[in-house]
Amino acid sequence: MMPAQTAKPRVSFMGAALRIWDLSLGQMLWSRRSVFLGLLVGGPVLLAALVRIVRALTPLGRLAINGADVGGPAIFGMMIWLLYVRFIIPVLGVFYGTALIADEVEDKTITYLFTRPIPRGAVLVGKYLAYLSCTVLLILPSVVLVYFLMVPIGGGSIGASFPSLMTDLGLLALGLAAYGAVFSLVGAWLKRPLVIGLVFAFGWEPGVLIFPGYLKQLTVAYYLQGLVPHAMPDDSTISALLQVFREVPAAVTCLAALAVITLGTLALAARAVEKREYILEQ
Amino acid sequence: MSIVTADHVSKWYGQVIGLNDVTLGIEPGITGLLGPNGAGKSTFMKLITGQLAPSKGALTVLGEPIWGNPSLYDRIGFCPEQDAFYERMTGLEWVTALLTLNGFDQKTAAEMAGRALEEVELSDVAGKKIGAYSKGMRQRVKMAQALAHNPELLILDEPLSGMDPLARRKTMRLIKEWARAGRSILVSSHILHEIESMTSNILLINQGRILAEGNVHQIRDLIDEHPHTVYVKAAEPRALAREFLAEDNVLSLKFEEGAVVVQTARPDVFYARLTDMAASGEFGPIQEVTSPDDNLQAVFQYLVK
Repeated sequence: MMPAQTAKPRVSFMGAALRIWDLSLGQMLWSRRSVFLGLLVGGPVLLAALVRIVRALTPLGRLAINGADVGGPAIFGMMIWLLYVRFIIPVLGVFYGTALIADEVEDKTITYLFTRPIPRGAVLVGKYLAYLSCTVLLILPSVVLVYFLMVPIGGGSIGASFPSLMTDLGLLALGLAAYGAVFSLVGAWLKRPLVIGLVFAFGWEPGVLIFPGYLKQLTVAYYLQGLVPHAMPDDSTISALLQVFREVPAAVTCLAALAVITLGTLALAARAVEKREYILEQ
Repeated sequence: MSIVTADHVSKWYGQVIGLNDVTLGIEPGITGLLGPNGAGKSTFMKLITGQLAPSKGALTVLGEPIWGNPSLYDRIGFCPEQDAFYERMTGLEWVTALLTLNGFDQKTAAEMAGRALEEVELSDVAGKKIGAYSKGMRQRVKMAQALAHNPELLILDEPLSGMDPLARRKTMRLIKEWARAGRSILVSSHILHEIESMTSNILLINQGRILAEGNVHQIRDLIDEHPHTVYVKAAEPRALAREFLAEDNVLSLKFEEGAVVVQTARPDVFYARLTDMAASGEFGPIQEVTSPDDNLQAVFQYLVK
């Protein structure tokens, strides 16, 4: 006789997603992609260390942009906006988000996940949660190190700036969540998601943000910039341009829009994965 | 009741047809799905495991449609053809993790995974990373994940591919044991000899169509009329070749890097002799035995005519 089936409860959608998260996190953390992107997030740390060394070697010099003195907290704020929010977060979102299912398809391991009694959408959500955990683990040390390297420059107070660090970390997490969800949808829908994702992140978003009108509301960056806590230097051409970019909606609007973008695109991505046939190359 | 039914099922990949108007019913027990590479076996396997949806027609597994019906996977175990794993996980971790997706808690899943690995004789390497497994071990750990949750129906896609002769014999014995224990098993291969060792009930597939259903022995007679090619990768291929030359059934031999490729007129006799040679250990380790299917293709073409 066949061995009796062992009794077990049915797994809920989120329960299944958490089990996929558990299975995927280790794989994702130690993947070649994570090593490469780990080097990428190390870039700002190196830059901050370089600035700090230059300052240490020239203690009486002042740090200025276009003649205006800038302190460590302001530089840190600019790094958060220009390096992390506008570059690193979209890059992480594109490279991980578009690959959530594509990697498993390419490695041909998707079969094991899609022949288990769990909805395919839960596989995507679980892998999305693993992406979020993995990228937060990559970003967090980088931002904290940059913070400790940059903020003391020019007499900035680490204690006084600490609340804004927390806001920055929250902002980055929201950015990772939103971009990851958007690009997981791109990955679930399209055959060449990486190219489309890069065009969206570095063509569409910066492009429409420059122009007045409603198109910018179709970007993630527009809502993220409303949450950036730092004041930018305002007496130069660059800062004037930055101020144009920073036509900001209210924080509540930004939070609500980011929540809608994240949950909406993730739900659409899960639905797309449920319906799509994945044909593995022989 | 049939465990799998297909009613005029077709599957297209764009302009290419993978399966063409297949109607069949597979009964409980062991059924062999036999056909050359590209015949439509994998498409059929993917359809009955719900990885693909039929372009046309209706398909049921254990009485229910399989596409978009994940709860059915509680009753099905699938061993895919591809050699794909989470290489950094150990065998035990991997099977346990997959069992948790079936709803088992971590402790129960680990116990069940341990039992499944024991069943496929991998207990001693359960704690080793899959990346360090031999080809035969990798095949067996795939089978362990398929049977670990005690499914009613096991679907095994080319489970013997790349195994050495002893592992093949053990695996075939295991498959028969699982069937005796009450499981239904659908096993695919492009090697008639393998299927014949497990069951006399076959589905013969070529060019996306089911050519024949039923008894394997009639097909075998046709196959035996054609030379059968076997690729044997071994530590000492020349020593093996010397022994093969003394066999009446061996028609020709040629060497490839670390391997000998044999044409035989009697595959059943040849495989039995090869298994004995592997068991004796006199000829060094035999790492891999595969069979290119050109000869089988010839038989299929003959049948189609």
